[in-house]
Amino acid sequence: MIRRLLPFLPLVLGLALAALWQSGLWPNPVLYVRADAGTLLFLAGLAASSLWWLGRFVGTRATRRCEQALARERTEQVEARRRFLRRLDHELKNPITAIRAGLANVADSSDGPALSGVRVQVDRLAHLSADLRKLADLEAQSLEQEPVNLERLLTELVEMMRERPGAAERRIALALPRAPWPPPPVAGDRDLLFLALHNLADNALKFSLAGDAVEVRAFEDERGAWVTVEVADTGPGIPDEDLPHLGEELYRGSAARGVEGSGLGLALAQAIITRHGGSMSVRSRVGQGTVVAVRLPVSR
Amino acid sequence: MEACERGNRILLVDDEAAITDQLSAFLARSGFCVAVASDGEAALSQVERFRPHLIVLDVLMPRLDGREALRRLRQADDWTPVILLTQVGSPGERAMALDEGADDYLNKPFEPYELAARIRAVLRRARAGAPSLAGAHRLRSGQLELDRRSRRVSLDGRELPVTARALALLEYMMLHPDEVLCRDRLLDAVWGWDYPAATRAVDSRIAELRRALNDAAEAPRFVETVIGEGYRFIGGVEAEP
Repeated sequence: MIRRLLPFLPLVLGLALAALWQSGLWPNPVLYVRADAGTLLFLAGLAASSLWWLGRFVGTRATRRCEQALARERTEQVEARRRFLRRLDHELKNPITAIRAGLANVADSSDGPALSGVRVQVDRLAHLSADLRKLADLEAQSLEQEPVNLERLLTELVEMMRERPGAAERRIALALPRAPWPPPPVAGDRDLLFLALHNLADNALKFSLAGDAVEVRAFEDERGAWVTVEVADTGPGIPDEDLPHLGEELYRGSAARGVEGSGLGLALAQAIITRHGGSMSVRSRVGQGTVVAVRLPVSR
Repeated sequence: MEACERGNRILLVDDEAAITDQLSAFLARSGFCVAVASDGEAALSQVERFRPHLIVLDVLMPRLDGREALRRLRQADDWTPVILLTQVGSPGERAMALDEGADDYLNKPFEPYELAARIRAVLRRARAGAPSLAGAHRLRSGQLELDRRSRRVSLDGRELPVTARALALLEYMMLHPDEVLCRDRLLDAVWGWDYPAATRAVDSRIAELRRALNDAAEAPRFVETVIGEGYRFIGGVEAEP
């Protein structure tokens, strides 16, 4: 409130003094100012420039404050969403436990296709609950900080991708620099990093079609401080309107309908990478393919 | 809650009627004699009357929660085996469950068959007259010693450099000696989550442990591979207060 009123202080002060002088309590002399045109123009220029700079200063401050407020709001939104997901998970666990026990109770008396259908759906819910728990775990748990050999990790990842159904119809390649040195190790929890990269690779396989290429590659930046791991595919690509929502929990893009998954894979990957001090970005062109890039700090 | 002649008496404690209804029916069909309580207070008074062989205890409950009920039980020097049903998603909770004297724990949602199997395993251990390892601060197997409080492992008096997760894995295995532990169970217990091919993560931590313990896979002193099933801690484990 006071900050809002402060700019009016000089005006109020001026008005008060003017009123005082005009009232005749003090002598009110008339001042004549003489100036040549050159000086006058210089002063006018100075005043205009000052006003312009002042305006700019006030403008940037307002924008910055606005941005800060937006960022705060965004963090709050993410927090609220996480809280909601934790509660959702919590509310899912007990019914799933009860349904499973109920299924076990009726399993002997009547077992048929209907029952196994129910079981599949309950397992799906249990899977969702497990993924939600991973997300919550990630925020709370302390991370291991071991040097992780990316070469070994990615080789294992690609081996695993090749064992997946549908892998034979895709060209899966691993591109690692060997000369003069392989990518440096990153610091972190190997199991979690594997999970994150596995989810990205899994998406590349799920959303690409027979005949597409999937490539996993890693390289370090020129200063040797960061390693980038990319998972690229020549799949159908992601429409522009889906891109901003990709990391959101439970978001399923238009192409994801009918594809198996909980809608948490990418959110989990994102959370893991963030916890490791890294970042994740997606580039995609419809009809050409998608590159997901993960930047991780090199282990010191 | 009817008196039953045969079978092990199991006290099932959970505030959700849907769970206790279904689970007690399932456990009864599995040959156990089941009584139900809906909160920690009720559980403690049931323990006196029903004299259960084992308690299945949910953590989150109104009035007196499972953790506090367990603490009071142990403070009263009652070492009735307890399986905790944990549900808050945090690995700290799992570590705490063992630390506070639970004999085992299971993450919700679980398969009822898994619960029955765990109950049998814990009862078998208790019946064999094996001292309860649940409340021990230190576990010893020959020259191998694991301090659960300070999170340290030593062999022949020398401290071993192992990662936190490998240590948690060793702890869980030592708390379940001579039991075949499948990879999925280890994942659930130690990692708290699983993912495709995560079983490899178990294998690589076991390999880390074996390197640290200088334990050969083909002639193990501590960790044995049970082909097609999982792993087993074969050393005898003693509890030290």
